[in-house]
Amino acid sequence: MIRKRLRKIEGFFWMGLGTAICFLAWKVHLGTFLEPGPGFVAFASGLFLCIVGLIMALSQILSRISLESGFDLNLTFQNISWRRLAYTMALLIGYAVFLNALGYFLTTFLVMCGLLYDREKNNWLLSFVTSLVIVGGSYLVFEVWLRSQLPRGVFPWW
Amino acid sequence: MCLKFGFGANSLEGSSLGGNGVTNMLHDLFYGFSIALQPVNLLLCFIGVLIGTLVGVLPGIGPAGAMSLLLPVTFGISPVGAIIMLAGIFYGAMYGGSTTSILINIPGEAASVVTCIDGYQMARQGRAGPALGIAAFGSFIAGTFGVVGLMLLATPLAEIAVKFGPAEYFSLVCLGLSVLIYLTQGSILNGLAMAGVGVFLSLIGQDVIQGTARFTFGLTGLIDGVGLIPLVMGFFGISEILLNLEKPQKRAILKTEIKSLFPSWEDWRRSIKPIARGTLLGFFLGILPGGGAVISSFISYALEKKFSRHPERFGKGAIEGVAGPESANNSASSGSFIPLFSLGIPSNVVMALLLGALMLHGLRPGPLMLTEHPEIFWGTVASMYVGNAMLLALNLPLIGMWVQILKIPYKTLFPLILLFCLIGSYSVSTNIFDIYVMLVFGGLGYFFRKFNYEPAPLVLAFVLGPLLEKNLRQSLILSDGSMEIFLTRPVSAGSLLISLFLLFSAVLPSLQKRRRTVITE
Repeated sequence: MIRKRLRKIEGFFWMGLGTAICFLAWKVHLGTFLEPGPGFVAFASGLFLCIVGLIMALSQILSRISLESGFDLNLTFQNISWRRLAYTMALLIGYAVFLNALGYFLTTFLVMCGLLYDREKNNWLLSFVTSLVIVGGSYLVFEVWLRSQLPRGVFPWW
Repeated sequence: MCLKFGFGANSLEGSSLGGNGVTNMLHDLFYGFSIALQPVNLLLCFIGVLIGTLVGVLPGIGPAGAMSLLLPVTFGISPVGAIIMLAGIFYGAMYGGSTTSILINIPGEAASVVTCIDGYQMARQGRAGPALGIAAFGSFIAGTFGVVGLMLLATPLAEIAVKFGPAEYFSLVCLGLSVLIYLTQGSILNGLAMAGVGVFLSLIGQDVIQGTARFTFGLTGLIDGVGLIPLVMGFFGISEILLNLEKPQKRAILKTEIKSLFPSWEDWRRSIKPIARGTLLGFFLGILPGGGAVISSFISYALEKKFSRHPERFGKGAIEGVAGPESANNSASSGSFIPLFSLGIPSNVVMALLLGALMLHGLRPGPLMLTEHPEIFWGTVASMYVGNAMLLALNLPLIGMWVQILKIPYKTLFPLILLFCLIGSYSVSTNIFDIYVMLVFGGLGYFFRKFNYEPAPLVLAFVLGPLLEKNLRQSLILSDGSMEIFLTRPVSAGSLLISLFLLFSAVLPSLQKRRRTVITE
């Protein structure tokens, strides 16, 4: 029962998304079959999502169609280290936020320190040294060899 | 560039596309070697197969992820060099994937899942050497045959494809997407939903025909559309890492002494037919839209078990269970280049990335590419012969080195992969916005995967979306708004019929059961 209820929610999600896409497509001009406009294919893809969502939502009636799609919610999200995932994502978002302001060297060094830090061993020195090596190595590869234009930030002379 | 060696590609009339078959093909192949053997291209080929083997060996990052990581790196090199390197990553990963399957029972990439079954059992019985050896030799034989097949089939197919119009292209794109969705594990409905989202995402930005901006939500970063690299890095790089980080991982490398990598005569006697069958099967499955290395290795295993006089040996260390699937996945990787080079339609996600790479270099893959840019096709074909030989050398004598690399802990590896993702997505257009795009798709990809929505149909639909839109709209304009154009042309009607059949199989319970059997096998 839980699986079917979830399937229903999934169906409503896709129908909602499909409707939103159809609306956006209609706003940018659909055109006609004779002369399709910029929203024509987007409208078709939105309509397509609505149909897929409808079939999912009707899973209790059309049980044979979407029975196989179910998954176990408890099993899927069992024993997940949400803190570790949130910590990693926060570091990555931080990288994007501070890259231009602090520059490549400092931002990469700080984020690498955070990512390499091993909480079990509590060894900051190791993550510090490894981060320095990574920052130096990646600078050589991307800036010197591949000539990517990495942001200089607070250290404009680099 | 090519004339240095005295060779030049033939024109359409004179080439293997036109007439005078074998001589012209050999001439074109020599031309290809004149490109592939240039020192810079040799080096790029070596880097490609080396990285390919590495990603094949290391669980947690597949060829699609590695190729998306290296796409920005290719901006600084020539288009032919870029394709040689990226192709090397793809077929290199097929070689390397078997190492982890055999030694630690964890497939380095999806196409080597089936190798775990008998490969690991062989290693437990002290026969890791012959298992690794037959995997490498089988891969070499199949890979080389696959390149010959690619060379022979791509040009005639391109000759036919020149006659295709927008209706045929639209229907072939639909067919490619349908087959991929049909073969994707899990629900067809999930695959369809992902394809729908992929098509919509591809439409963000400027309209291909009228040039007006659409669906940008006022964000200037979206005027040129969603970037392929941030999207792919998000779905295959970031989400993969999040999935690996969510639970602690422990790898145990089997402590076995690898005595000799050369299989015995008895091993060869048992393996030669599975290698031959796997090679043929993999090649033809690789050509099919949506087919590829993963599905061919599974079918090859099922086939070998069915052909065997002693099927009870399978799962307990039968060498046929390693030789067949490993040959099939390598042959399929060569076969899957055919639709890309001759039609401009990628048959799987990895080929979609190669298509993306060609487009980023300003090239339009399709039947005319073979005549307009013969150096790309023949250079890649020739480099695949060279690359297969390099892989044999890399995988047999250096097996000890790959085993050592397996010992690198994931907690050291994942920050490096993340850094590559961050710099890679930033350096495409030196824009922070692309990092945000990548992170959004990384988070979305994680949850999609948790809810059993595979990213492959989305990425393929994203790459094919502009082609789909352009050809649909052109077809409708050409036919004065009549949908009959798709049904009156045989190739188009046939492709659409097959697509519809596959998609309706989601509705008909009897066909659904058969599909489940195919995927389970």
